[in-house]
Amino acid sequence: MDKNKILRNLEKIVGKDFVSNKPEDLYIYSQDPGASLSRPTDFVIMPKTVEELQNIVKLANAEKIPLVPMGGGLTLSGLVIPVKGGIVVDMKRMNKIIEINEYSKYALIEAGVTTGQLLSYLNESYPNLQPPVPDAPPSATVAGNVLIHGSGYLSQKYGDHGAMINGLEVVLPNGDICKLGSCSISPFWFARGPIPDLIGLFISSFGTMGIISKVSIQLFDKPKFREVVFGLLKDPKDIPNILLKITETGLAEDVILGMQDKPDWMKGYVFVIAYVTGESQEEIDSHIKTFKRVYRKANARYMKTPDRIRNVYLEKPIFAAAAADYRKGGGFEYVGANMPLEKIPEAYKRGAEISKKYRIVPTLGSRLIGGTHNIVMFFSYSFNRADTKDMENARNALHETNKLALELGGIPWKAELAGQQLILEKMDPNYKKLFNSIRNTLDPNRIMNPGNWEVNQ
Amino acid sequence: MGGESIITLSEKQDWRDIVHRCFRCGYCKFTLEYSDFNCPSYKKYQFETYSTGGRLWLIYGIISGEIQWNEGIANVIYACPTCGNCTENCRFEKFNDFLVDIIEVARAEAVKNGFCPEKQKALLKRTENTEYYNPYGEKNSDNTELKKKYNLPGKAEWVYFIGCTSNYRQQNLRDATLRFLKKAKIDFTLIDEHCCCSPIIRTGQIKPVNDFINYNVAQIKNAGATKIITSCAGCYRTIKKDWLKFGADYDFEVFHTVELVKQLLDEDRLKIKSEYKNTVTYHDPCHLGRHVGMYEIPREVHNKIPGIKLVEMRRNRENAWCCGAGGGVKIGYPEWSVEVSQERLIEAKETGASVISSICPFCRTNLSDANEKYNMGFEVIDLIEFLDQLDIEIN
Ligand SMILES: Cc1cc2nc3c(=O)[nH]c(=O)nc-3n(C[C@H](O)[C@H](O)[C@H](O)COP(=O)(O)OP(=O)(O)OC[C@H]3O[C@@H](n4cnc5c(N)ncnc54)[C@H](O)[C@@H]3O)c2cc1C
Ligand code: SF4
Ligand code: SF4
Repeated sequence: MDKNKILRNLEKIVGKDFVSNKPEDLYIYSQDPGASLSRPTDFVIMPKTVEELQNIVKLANAEKIPLVPMGGGLTLSGLVIPVKGGIVVDMKRMNKIIEINEYSKYALIEAGVTTGQLLSYLNESYPNLQPPVPDAPPSATVAGNVLIHGSGYLSQKYGDHGAMINGLEVVLPNGDICKLGSCSISPFWFARGPIPDLIGLFISSFGTMGIISKVSIQLFDKPKFREVVFGLLKDPKDIPNILLKITETGLAEDVILGMQDKPDWMKGYVFVIAYVTGESQEEIDSHIKTFKRVYRKANARYMKTPDRIRNVYLEKPIFAAAAADYRKGGGFEYVGANMPLEKIPEAYKRGAEISKKYRIVPTLGSRLIGGTHNIVMFFSYSFNRADTKDMENARNALHETNKLALELGGIPWKAELAGQQLILEKMDPNYKKLFNSIRNTLDPNRIMNPGNWEVNQ
Repeated sequence: MGGESIITLSEKQDWRDIVHRCFRCGYCKFTLEYSDFNCPSYKKYQFETYSTGGRLWLIYGIISGEIQWNEGIANVIYACPTCGNCTENCRFEKFNDFLVDIIEVARAEAVKNGFCPEKQKALLKRTENTEYYNPYGEKNSDNTELKKKYNLPGKAEWVYFIGCTSNYRQQNLRDATLRFLKKAKIDFTLIDEHCCCSPIIRTGQIKPVNDFINYNVAQIKNAGATKIITSCAGCYRTIKKDWLKFGADYDFEVFHTVELVKQLLDEDRLKIKSEYKNTVTYHDPCHLGRHVGMYEIPREVHNKIPGIKLVEMRRNRENAWCCGAGGGVKIGYPEWSVEVSQERLIEAKETGASVISSICPFCRTNLSDANEKYNMGFEVIDLIEFLDQLDIEIN
């Protein structure tokens, strides 16, 4: 690869200021905040328009250089660190909020719009609407999140964020621009079908199918009142029962569970954190009463919450990074596994055992996705970034946890390279064959985030 | 970076022990409610490298030996006006307080390793020059003439520490302050002051800092003063925080002129008799706002001026957008620096104000430069200057 020539050509596309192969930039884009080791990057580029993006893809395809699309780079699992070198395409200059449709309730945005930007824009200009955003830091992009089956405080009620995609504009590996969803037929980006649904191909494929330039996502009515109702459960075995009882009421917006040994007062309990919403305080009070009853019947104790803790949980999105970085070592990564409800008690028990084996304070949690259809289970490992052994220890714990999730019938979410391979080992061979043949058709030169979802034939 | 630490962040905290705690999560890029990117450096360059997180990771990379100093890294470390938005918005307690300090210490390390950019070097060269003792390269004024002109005593309760920007670039502001102090019958004098060291500390060129501080402290003590007053946000922050950090031995109180004005108003000793019929928006200087938390006093003073309509910019107080002049950016990146001020003026335009006020000569200079360059049509003024235009009575 003639790097100078490529740099000059990339500069022609985006201008000198927005492409770099300077060592300081490559150093930063060769790593992410998770436990993965750094891997070399050749260039970083920041397109502003879809035409620029298209020209980058065409150039990479002609030169057979890998492209790695990046939003906030916050998955923690190294998904935006190139595996085979190449160009990291940092999407954050494509940051236009193009349309908010108050009738069909969607936001049409460019792929670099951050969750913080959309949230604040809606708060300011459309205070009755709320976006589906994760509890990730605000510099995560909406696109990066929905494209990995992200989830958040609206997911118990409305499903995972991938399911909330109405439409995509994609630059395919050959440079074609393709619209998917109702927008391929209509000026309204209001729905995904009813046409053959190809949007799924781009979700959790980690940039291997093309680069998304625009996304339409559903928006939701914002409740006037929201309250958090805490319950304490002694035995993880009771988790399925209490979750079924909670979802039966149809009253919960979000339901999260947490079991952690630190701080000390949390040890020995599973915390049930359910959110209720309503149009009035009376409605909220009545929901709280219902929940107290549900908790009682399900072997749980209602916990009156000090304002200090209540306020932390009422912030939307929650400042999750504080709890995650409880060791104050600047690092944490988690296995987020999608699990069937019946396996959650075992996941808690064995997850805690893995933590202890690796001398990491057990920090486990979960969130319901669409009632009890799916539970995301978090096995979180905090580490000290300044200690390479500690990082390696975290990687080993993560790997063992991925194996556990698969053994229990779950699937690791946004899995890092080693986790992807574990998933592929278990996958139906014909699924793999189909996936690979679609990929080869779309991307015969294998320029799109190669190394990810690599099916060994 | 090895070697001994030049500055410990506090008694117990060495910066090298905490720099790796940056998670690169990016809260520091935003305003509090995420309405905009509020880190001028990230907003300009847009690569992650130029966010606070990028800077801290580079600094950690150097400490851990993964990367070595080069001009590019030094450029990243210097392309930051030390506005403190990161300190305000990073959510990690007992770490966020030190972000600007860490950037400044890294600059000191860049200097030590021979990577201080040329333009910033000029600051030190001029400041150290015994003809100047100021970063502007102006012949040092020992202020004897001013003392004569204003009939100031040799010893007094207060010293007005003029600061280099007011003394050599914003003399109108200096003279307005002198007139105000006289009208207020403050028992004050001037000293032969050398630079407070703000520009050289901010750019990591700290070698002569102790000598400068000792000289200034000795001058102040010789003047018999127990109180220092300054009209410059940069001097205020530096005297109040940095001099102590560098081990200065002083027990005088430090005031910004706006605090004195507020006190006189509160005590009913200052009466403003004429009106100032303008719509004014106040720009929070970073050194007075985020760096020391003074937000309300200047607003209260503005609001006491009869006829004034004080309006707020979208980003104000803790969320204020920096003017872009600080941290050596004005000298190191003159064009970008003025662009940052332009963004502030565009925001000021949205308020309908015709006047933008501040209480920092450095902000005033940069906002005026942008005002002129981009034909924005504002009157850029320091609070003390419009008090000077009004009919006031102080007893
Ligand atoms: C403290 C913390 C809390 C978190 N909490 C949650 C949570 O509650 N819910 C949740 O879902 N996640 C959570 N996450 C995980 C993650 O941060 C988020 O899912 C985040 O939104 C991912 O977005 P991103 O922009 O950072 O994506 P990135 O990491 O930049 O990208 C994710 C993947 O999508 C690909 N990609 C990105 N942009 C494009 C594009 N334009 N076209 C094609 N492919 C693209 C990338 O190549 C990568 O494979 C959390 C993370 C942290 C650090
Ligand atoms: S400085 Fe603080 S807010 Fe910014 S990236 Fe680092 S940890 Fe996050
Ligand atoms: S001080 Fe200001 S410009 Fe510098 S890194 Fe922090 S937020 Fe950015």
